[in-house]
Amino acid sequence: MTGFSKLAKVESKLLLRDPSAIFSMAVPLFILVIFSGGTSPGDTALPSMSMTIAVGLVGLYMVPTTLATYRERGILRRLSTTPVSPGALLSVQLILQLVFALLASAVLVTVSVVIFQAALPARAVAMVTAFLLGTSAIFAVGLLIAATAASGRAANGIGVLLYFPLAFLGGLMQPKEAMPELLATIGEFTPLGLFRQAVHDAWSGAATQPLLLAIMAVYALLIGLVAARFFRWE
Amino acid sequence: MAVIEVNDLVKTYGRLPVVNEVSFSVEQGEIFGILGPNGAGKTTTVECAEGLRRPDSGSIRVLGLDPVRDGRELSHQVGVQLQESLLPENIKVWEALDLYASFYRAPKDWRELLEEWGLADKRQARFATLSGGQKQRLFIALALVGDPKVAFLDELTTGLDPAARRVTWELIKRIRTGGVTVVLVSHYMDEVEELCDRVAVFDRGRIVALDTPSNLISAVDADQHLRFRPLAPFDDALLMGLPGVVSVTRSGDRVIVTGRGDFAGAVTSALARGHVPVAELRVGRHTLDDAFVALTGRAFGTQETR
Repeated sequence: MTGFSKLAKVESKLLLRDPSAIFSMAVPLFILVIFSGGTSPGDTALPSMSMTIAVGLVGLYMVPTTLATYRERGILRRLSTTPVSPGALLSVQLILQLVFALLASAVLVTVSVVIFQAALPARAVAMVTAFLLGTSAIFAVGLLIAATAASGRAANGIGVLLYFPLAFLGGLMQPKEAMPELLATIGEFTPLGLFRQAVHDAWSGAATQPLLLAIMAVYALLIGLVAARFFRWE
Repeated sequence: MAVIEVNDLVKTYGRLPVVNEVSFSVEQGEIFGILGPNGAGKTTTVECAEGLRRPDSGSIRVLGLDPVRDGRELSHQVGVQLQESLLPENIKVWEALDLYASFYRAPKDWRELLEEWGLADKRQARFATLSGGQKQRLFIALALVGDPKVAFLDELTTGLDPAARRVTWELIKRIRTGGVTVVLVSHYMDEVEELCDRVAVFDRGRIVALDTPSNLISAVDADQHLRFRPLAPFDDALLMGLPGVVSVTRSGDRVIVTGRGDFAGAVTSALARGHVPVAELRVGRHTLDDAFVALTGRAFGTQETR
């Protein structure tokens, strides 16, 4: 087997052994189960929130912690003395985390629809588009944390510290209708707020808001570029 | 044949030269030591040879290749164990070896390495659960899994207990037996003395001496002491005229003979000829520590801030 596919195989085993993977899956599932008692059949708001929580935890918590730890432990440096570049490990990690976020989202959609009578996602293509653009934007923030944090522990701390205000602003702690207007407006333009709204629109069948998709794309690109520019390999 | 050739290597961080016009060459099949206190430029030099750092000036050839320009090709032919490099906590021993083997064109059979390095019963163990010695053995095995021609080992036994260090030394000797040239970075005198065919002694970014450990030690031109307790009376004149002897002094029932070169042999045979039995004979033997002090005018343990 070539270095790249073996790397993907070993890294996916490591990902599944990481307790934070279970955490990132369990928390949104728990929220879904706890609060679904208060929703009516056909609801799509709560499922969209739970999906945003899952992707937020993967992007802001797992991505930066894993990558900064790899740097801190000298794993990226050790790889650069082999024929496989540390960039390959970085790519493999981002792809695996994306796949993990996708699987977590698929589980949440299935549980919502099958167990809690949520509506089926109304527009699949719009849903996938929202997922990909939003996940890219959130991962870019995670990558920026990984790029600048001094250690794995620091990255973990920054990720958690950033997650809570972003989750609050993004309308994941309470419906945005219940938030002060200013905060709700600001929240609409945060990565998690954009993701939640775009997914909710696609799931419920509301009209796609191209502005939301465009802002997510810009976030992904700009923050991603800054992260790449400042990424330290050692 | 020279496997590594370094000429006038300079590497500067900020305005501070960390490596300053260093030149040396490593011959095929030897264990070459790079010795010096912390901050002497040892690791930086080796990292330039590994292609991890770009020299400011000077040239490096490893197996005829430029570590910066031909880095990819070179990485197939060298094995590296880095100072302060770890593995993911949850990776299993066999997974790490299997993974690293997959990086190389013509890897060794990692199952054999597992046996050879005494890790067979730790095959399924996760990295975090290994002892210090086991981790180091795994790092060496990972450095060798690509079947390299040259292995760079940096501060291999730091943090190991004396028994684990001894075991590691035996294993390093075995690497050479397998035909691999070894570059060993160390700040342990005894380690270098035990293992290396030749040693470059680094101090403040420069090589202050390069020779075999025994030549470095014997080049220390300082007085040595021979102490003993005579069991029969004798006249100091018996020893004073001997070649190399500088002085004979008495302290209580002890005699201390000071001398240079191979005076100790002359003293003991003169005592035997004069029928003077002695007890508690001690020779103050020079070590690489003495060589370092003689070369730099400083004790080895003196740490420099970078």
